[in-house]
Amino acid sequence: MKKLSLKNISAIISISFCIIFAISIIYGCKASQKVSMKTGAQLWAENCQRCHNTPSPSSFSPEQWETIGLHMQTRALLTDTEREKIVEFLKQ
Amino acid sequence: MRQKIIIKTGGVLAILQLLLLAPKLQAQQTVVDSSVLDRINELEKQMAAKKTGEDHFMVAGLATMGFASYKTTNTVNGSSTVTKGNSFPDADNFEFSPMLLWRHGKKLLAEFEPSFNNNGVSVNWADVSWFATPGLIVRAGYLVLPLGTYSKREAAGWIDKLATDPMGIADMAPTDYGVEIEGGLPLGSSKINYDVALTNGNQLLPDGTITSGNIVDNNNNKTITGRLGLLPFSNSSLEVGVSGMFGKVGDQGANIQNTMAKVYAFDLNYVKLLKPILINIKSQYNIQDIDKVDYINPADSSTYSFNNHTISFFVQGSLRPVNASGFIKNVELAGRYTIFNTPANSTFGSNQHTFTIGLDYWLSWRAVFKITYEAYKGNSTASKTLGAYTGLTTTNTLFVHFAIQL
Repeated sequence: MKKLSLKNISAIISISFCIIFAISIIYGCKASQKVSMKTGAQLWAENCQRCHNTPSPSSFSPEQWETIGLHMQTRALLTDTEREKIVEFLKQ
Repeated sequence: MRQKIIIKTGGVLAILQLLLLAPKLQAQQTVVDSSVLDRINELEKQMAAKKTGEDHFMVAGLATMGFASYKTTNTVNGSSTVTKGNSFPDADNFEFSPMLLWRHGKKLLAEFEPSFNNNGVSVNWADVSWFATPGLIVRAGYLVLPLGTYSKREAAGWIDKLATDPMGIADMAPTDYGVEIEGGLPLGSSKINYDVALTNGNQLLPDGTITSGNIVDNNNNKTITGRLGLLPFSNSSLEVGVSGMFGKVGDQGANIQNTMAKVYAFDLNYVKLLKPILINIKSQYNIQDIDKVDYINPADSSTYSFNNHTISFFVQGSLRPVNASGFIKNVELAGRYTIFNTPANSTFGSNQHTFTIGLDYWLSWRAVFKITYEAYKGNSTASKTLGAYTGLTTTNTLFVHFAIQL
């Protein structure tokens, strides 16, 4: 198997960036109806476990969840809607 | 008889006294009730008028500690030496890192994580984030660079399923001073995320290795690091990402001032509940290339050269029967294979790999007890001419760890 040169890898990275950004512009960065309809509980179950166990809502106070929500958005790069819905669910 | 009359008279008087006092007692009761009600009303008013404030401060973070016992065998030219040792609290992985989070409204967040570890006290990150608009976070400070996802998301002891870090992965995604923009965006039923940082960059050391996190830049060139992630499925079960880091690493004014370092990373994360088992697969492949220049042999200060090419790779899988009942649902089985090849013909070249297996018991969602066994094999590719060849090294280590999110 031919070894990938750095030039080829750079090209793959650049092309990937361009394709995905082009698609995102075409779609206007909007969520589908199926995704928009998701509840905070669903998003909590799907997104938190991507890295760690799903946290118990009782672990922190509502104020703390607001702060942790911002911190987690910077780590997991959640969309703003996802963060807002998950935090609202955890604050209940 | 007289005694009976006295008792009777006393009883009647007592009843009369009660009847006379009853309205007074009732009135007193009413007075007590209304004062309590007044107080409750007053407290309710105070609560309604209470301002929650714009700011919130809290401490989170993590702690990892444990025990490690190892046996190392080193073979050079047919001659072997064996070393055995152990360590409380596993010095290489011990960490107590409280994270200070300060939120100002809903748009600003300051994060600071000092860490007490094997190196004394250091700082994991210290930055301020501004949540500018949906899909755009602007950050400045001492940042974990977005090269792959391991360093930024998976390295914490209470998140990592195994007691050790995969070799070389975190080393190539250092922490550095600079600015960063990032965000997550919906894309139909998929999602994308981006993360780009502009920082001082790494510094090339005379022996060909690099160091990071310099608060004063060693040259006038900045390093750009970027990652693009794609979550193709609507349930966010799969994420794939590509990253690159590009910048000059030579000292200003030195012969090697124009030396470039290019680092690439590819990452994958798949987490899916296939009832009753939660399947978790993570992988990252890093490639680092630094321009070929003359380096200095630390042993005698002579110059020499080599292809400064490094790769690191890991694939990790874990299984947890989350839908089981009782003890079993808290047990997780994990395994990882790691490759870390440093430049051949340098003074530190080696082809290394590890196989790691572990059994975890989750005491809660954020507290874990881990037993990990790791087998390491390193075959030196360092220059024999320079006397740097170190032969074949194997190390078997048993780790017993406890990790918790604070």
